[in-house]
Amino acid sequence: MSVTTETLTTAPAQPSSPEPVRRGRPVTSTAALIGKKVLGALFVIWAAASITFLIQSLLPGDRATLLLNQQTGQVQERSAEELAPINEQFGFDDPLLVQYVTFLGGLLRGDLGISYTLYQPVTTVIGDQIVPTLVLTFTALAVAWALAIVLLLLTARRAPWVSRIFSGLESAAAALPQYWLGIILLVVFSLWLGLFPVVSGSGTAGLVLPALTLGIPLAGFLAQVMRAEFERTMDEPFVLTARARGMSDGGVRLRHVLRHSLLPGLSLTGWAVGAQFSAAVIAENVFARPGLGRVLVTAVNGRDLPVVCGVVMLVALVYVITNLIVDTAYILVDPRLKEAA
Amino acid sequence: MNTPPSPNAPENRPVSAWQTATTTASSRARRRPGALTAGIALAVGSALVLSACSSGTAGPQEQAALTGSATEPVQGGVLEYGHLQEPNCIFGGWIQENFTARQVLDNLVSATEDGSVVPWIATDWEVSEDQLVWTLTLRDDVHFTDGTPLDAEAVAYNFDYWMDGGNGTAAAHLGGFYDHSEVVDADTVEIHLSAPFAPFLSTLSQSYFGLQSPTALQTRTVEENCTEPIGSGPFTVKDWKRGEYIEFERNEDYDWAPENARHQGPAYLEGIRWNIVPDGTSRYGSLLAGEMDAIGEVPAVNIAEARQRYDFTQYITPGRPVVINLNTERGIFTDQAVRQALSHATDREANIESAFLGTVPFEPSGYLSQSTPGYDADAAQQYPFDLEKANELLDGAGWTGRAEDGTRIKDGQRLQVKIVYGLNTIVTPDGNTAIQNFQEQARAAGFDIELRPLTPSENFSGAYSTPDSYDGSVGYWTSPHAGILNINYRPSTEEAPNGANTTFLDNEEVFTTIQQALQAPTDAEVTATFSEAQYQLSELAPAIGLYTQTNTLAVSDRVSGLWLEPAQGGPIFHDAHFTSEEARDSSQGFSAANAENEG
Amino acid sequence: MTAQPQSQPRIPADAGTTGGVPAAPHPAGPVQSATWRRVPVTVWIAGVFAGLLLLAAFAPGVLATHDPRAITLGSPLAAPSWEHWFGTDQSGRDLYSRIVHGTTQSLLIGLGSAAVGVGLAVVFGSWAALGGRWADAVIGRAIEVLFAFPILLLAMVFIAVYGPSVQTLILAVGLGIAPGYARMVRAQVMSVRRSGYVQAAQALGHHPGRVLAQHILPNALRPLLAVLTLGIGQSIVWASGLAFLGFGVAPPSPEWGALLEAGRPYIIEAWWLEIIPGLAVLATALTATVLGKFVESTLEGER
Repeated sequence: MSVTTETLTTAPAQPSSPEPVRRGRPVTSTAALIGKKVLGALFVIWAAASITFLIQSLLPGDRATLLLNQQTGQVQERSAEELAPINEQFGFDDPLLVQYVTFLGGLLRGDLGISYTLYQPVTTVIGDQIVPTLVLTFTALAVAWALAIVLLLLTARRAPWVSRIFSGLESAAAALPQYWLGIILLVVFSLWLGLFPVVSGSGTAGLVLPALTLGIPLAGFLAQVMRAEFERTMDEPFVLTARARGMSDGGVRLRHVLRHSLLPGLSLTGWAVGAQFSAAVIAENVFARPGLGRVLVTAVNGRDLPVVCGVVMLVALVYVITNLIVDTAYILVDPRLKEAA
Repeated sequence: MNTPPSPNAPENRPVSAWQTATTTASSRARRRPGALTAGIALAVGSALVLSACSSGTAGPQEQAALTGSATEPVQGGVLEYGHLQEPNCIFGGWIQENFTARQVLDNLVSATEDGSVVPWIATDWEVSEDQLVWTLTLRDDVHFTDGTPLDAEAVAYNFDYWMDGGNGTAAAHLGGFYDHSEVVDADTVEIHLSAPFAPFLSTLSQSYFGLQSPTALQTRTVEENCTEPIGSGPFTVKDWKRGEYIEFERNEDYDWAPENARHQGPAYLEGIRWNIVPDGTSRYGSLLAGEMDAIGEVPAVNIAEARQRYDFTQYITPGRPVVINLNTERGIFTDQAVRQALSHATDREANIESAFLGTVPFEPSGYLSQSTPGYDADAAQQYPFDLEKANELLDGAGWTGRAEDGTRIKDGQRLQVKIVYGLNTIVTPDGNTAIQNFQEQARAAGFDIELRPLTPSENFSGAYSTPDSYDGSVGYWTSPHAGILNINYRPSTEEAPNGANTTFLDNEEVFTTIQQALQAPTDAEVTATFSEAQYQLSELAPAIGLYTQTNTLAVSDRVSGLWLEPAQGGPIFHDAHFTSEEARDSSQGFSAANAENEG
Repeated sequence: MTAQPQSQPRIPADAGTTGGVPAAPHPAGPVQSATWRRVPVTVWIAGVFAGLLLLAAFAPGVLATHDPRAITLGSPLAAPSWEHWFGTDQSGRDLYSRIVHGTTQSLLIGLGSAAVGVGLAVVFGSWAALGGRWADAVIGRAIEVLFAFPILLLAMVFIAVYGPSVQTLILAVGLGIAPGYARMVRAQVMSVRRSGYVQAAQALGHHPGRVLAQHILPNALRPLLAVLTLGIGQSIVWASGLAFLGFGVAPPSPEWGALLEAGRPYIIEAWWLEIIPGLAVLATALTATVLGKFVESTLEGER
C-alpha cells in the first residue's frame, strides 16, 4: 500500500481526488511512510498535552489552594504558610517554563506523573479505567453502525414517504441530547420494565443501555450522512447497469450501493471517536459505570494536571489510531484507492 | 469515668433529634425479625417534630434487652450500599473520606445523640485544672490490622500526623489549640493544649481523627495509605474499583466497638460493597429494583415515598448550616442595615419548604444548625419574614430611589449584589432551587441579585474566596459542636490569617465572646456564652440561614441494624445484618467461592 | 488515482456530504426536484415551527402566558393543566413560559455555535485546501489536536473569562464542532478547486480572491448545507451536555440546556420538566435540518 502520507494523515477522505497523483511525492518505502505517520501522531499528542498543560496552569485561581480546599472540602483563601508545603511538593512555585520542562522530561521517560488528588501514578489511574471506556465507546460505535446500515438498506430510496419518515427519524436521533436519552432509557428499561440493571457497573448486561445512549444519536448522524450518498449512488449509471443485468434490488443495495455510502460514514467515525470519549461521561454518570469520562471530568474540575494531560494524550492516541484504521478501511472499501496510488 | 465540662452535656442543650426516621418505623419493624421494636420519639428544639427509630439511641444493655437472644442476627453476606460521591482516599479531610474512614478506623471516643461522648479506644479521660492537659486512658487489647498495637505511642503519633499535614480538617479544628502529646505509659497518653478547648472530646469523635497504624504510615507509600489505610476498625479495604465500588471486608479480630455500638465483637456482615452511584434517579432506582440493600443521599423528590417503603433515617448535620455569607468588608453589605434588610426581605421558611418539598428543615440561623449543641433557637429567630421592616431599613440606609425594574438606587448605584456558590459541590440541585427562590423573592424589597454558580475548579481554587470577588457566598461546615463559630468568625490577621472567615467579619466583641465560650469552666457557662455569641452575631447579621445540611439513609427490609453515627452522619455497618438467611444468600458475596464458604 | 472509472464522476468527499462536485453537471436532479410549487408538508410544518421559534425569540411576550421568573412557592412541580400548559417547575414557575423565554438564548447558542464552528471551518478548511502543502500540514495537525481536546476544558477557559454565559457556550461549542466541519470544507474545496470551471476561471486570470468567493466557496459549501444545519441542533445538544457537567448558563435563565439539566432529578415524579424541554430541543434541531435539506435540494434543483 502506498498512499501518500498526506492522504493518510490529513485527508483520508479524498479517494476521488486525483491530487495524490498530481501532488503526491511518491513514497519510497513503507518504513518511511510509517516513520512519518508515527512522527505525525507524536506531534499531535505532544501538542494536545502542551496546550492542556498551559491552559491548566494559566487558568485563574491558585492550584495549591484548590488542592488544599479539595482535601478538606472547604472553600476559602489559604495562607502562604499553609500553601508552602504543597507548592514545594508539586513545584507550583517554579517558573512555568521549568514546570513545563519537568513535565516534558517526565513524558519522555514515559512517566506521566502522579495524580495530585488520588496519589496514584497517572498510568495506574488510566489503566484501571481504560477498559470500560474503550468497551463502551466501541460498543456504541458498533451499535451505531449496525443501526445505520440496517436503516439504510431497508429504507433508503424506497417510497418517498418511507424515505422521508426514516430520514426524519435519523435527524431526530442525531439531535437527541445524550443524557436526555440516557435517563429515559434508564427509566423505561431498567425501572419500569426491569430488563436491565439500574446500576450498570462494568458487567455485560449493564453495557446495553449505556451503549444505546451513545450509539443512537451517532447512528442518526451516520445514517444521515450515508443516506445522502446512498441515494445518490442509487442513481448512478453503474447501478442501472447492474439492474439491467438482472441483479436483484437487495443485491444491488448490498453489493454496490452500500459500499459507496460507507465512505462518508467511515470519515465520520474517525472523528466521532474523540467526541465519544467526552460524551462517555454522561453515560457513565447516569448508569453508574466506571470509566475515563468520569476520571476526566473529576480531574478537569480539580485541575489534576497530570491526569488531565494523561487522558488528553490518550484520546489523541486513540484518535490517531482510529483514523489509521479508518484510512485502511477506506482502501478495503474502495479498492480503487489502492490501484490508483 | 471523669467527664469534663463540655458544651455538649445533655442538660444544657435543647433536646435534639440527630436522627429521625420514618413515621412507619414501628410497623416496619414488626416485619423485620431482627429489628428493634421500640420507636423513641424525640423533639427537635424548633417546631420540627419527627419520630425516630432507635437507631443507636439505646445503650448497650437496653440493646441486648431489645434485640434479645432469641433472634441471633444472621451472620455473613455482603451488603450492597449505594453512595453519591466517591472519595479520593479512604481517609482524609473531606466529608466523603470521613464516611469511608469510619468503616476502617477507630476513634478515641464516640459521639452520641445527645452530644456527649462515650468511651471507645479511650476508656477514660481527665482534664487538668487549667484545661490544658487531657490525660487519656486507652484500652490495652487493641491492635491494628497489620498486627501492631494501638497504644499510647500510636495515639501520640497520630496526633502529630493529623496536625502536620495528615488531615487538613483535623488541623483546622485543633489548630491554635494543640501543642504536643506525651506518652505516659503504654495505655496512657497526655495531650497538651496551648489554650483551653472545651469541645476537645467532641472534636475527636469525628473520623478526621481516625487512628492509623504508625508503622503503616511510616513504611508504606502515600498511595497505599490513601487507598488502604491500616486501622483497627470493624472492616478493612479489600478492593477499590475506582468509579465503581469500594469493597470492605470484615475484620475478624474486631472486639473493641464503641460503647454506643449495638453489639461487641466482629461485624455480622462478611463485607460491604460501597457502590458509587452519582445519579439520584439511578441511586434511588437501584434501591427500588433491589440491587442495593441501602442507599445514602435519598433525592428530596423521593423522600416522601422512601419514608413509606423503607427504613428511612435523616440526619441533620450539626455545625454551620447552609447559609449565605455576606461580605462585610467590601461592597454593599458593609452596611449592617442592608444585611439586616436582606435577612428580613424573603420568606425563607416557605422557600425551603417548597424547594425541598418539605423534606429538609428550614434553618433560620446563619451561624449554627439546629442540631448543634449550644444552638440558641431564640437567637436564630431574629429575622422573620418582614418586608415592611426590610423596606424601612433600606430607606433608612439611603436606598430610596427605584429603577424601572424595581431595583433600589442610592446615589446612582443600584442595589445589585453578586452571590457565588459551588453548584453540585456545595449546593445540591434542590439548594439551587432555594437560592433562585431567594433571588426572586428579594426583588420585592428592591434587591437585584446576580447568581453566579461556580465550577468546582473556580470554587476551590480561591478565585472566588477573596473580599473583592463576591457580595455573598453560600457554604456550610459540619462540626459536632458550637466551636465552629471560632473557625468561622475568628478575625483574619496578618500573623494568623483565617480564610474560613468567609464573611470577613472583624468584630472584637464577637471574637472575645467565642473565646470565653471555648474556655468556660462549666457546661452551663459554655452554653450561655455561646448563646450570647449567637445574639451578637445575629445583631450584626453577617450571614443568612437557609437550610440544614442533611444526610439520609434508606434501608430495604432485607437488612437491619444500620445507623448513622452522630458526629458526622456517616452510615455504620458494624451492627448491620441481613434479616434472614434467604436475604443473605441472595446477596452474591464477594465471589462464588466466598459464598460457598458461607454455606 | 487516474484509474478512476469514468462512469463515476463523483465520489463522496470527506464526511460524506453530498459530495457533489458541482462543476460536473448532474445527470439528472437526483433529489426530488423540490421547487416552491411542490413543497412537502414536512417543510410546511418546519416552516411554521421556525416562524414560532422566531416569534418566541424576538417577542416572547406574545406567546408566553406567565412571567418566566415568577415563582409560586405553594405549588412546585404541578402537572400540566389548563393554567400551566406544560406544568410548573421546582420553583412553581410556568414551564411553558420559561421554554418560550428560553428560545432566544437557545437559538443564539445553536446558531452562534454553528456560525463560529462553520466560520472557523471555512477559513481554515479553505486555507488548508488552497494554501499549499505547509498550510495544509499545519492546519491538518491543528485540527487533529482540537479533535482530541476535551470540550470541557475549552468551556472552562471561556467561563474563566466570560462567566457561565451564552457567549461561553457559543465559543466552547463552536470550537468543539469546528474541526469536523473544517475537514469537510477542506475536502470540498479541494474537489471543487480541481473542477473544470474553477480551472477555467483561473486560466482566465481572475483574481484568486474572486475565484474563491465566486466559484469555489459557493459550490463547495452548498452541498454541506444539510450537514451544517445539523450543527444547529447539535450545538444546542452540546450546550445541554455542558449544563449537565455544571457549565451551563447561570440561573434563573430558562435556556433549554439549563432546563433539561434542572429537570433531570424529577424525571419520574415530574416527567414534564425533563421530557418537554427535550422535545423542544429535538423539534428545533429537526426544523433546522428539514429546512436545511429543503434549501439545499432547491438550490440543486435550480441549477
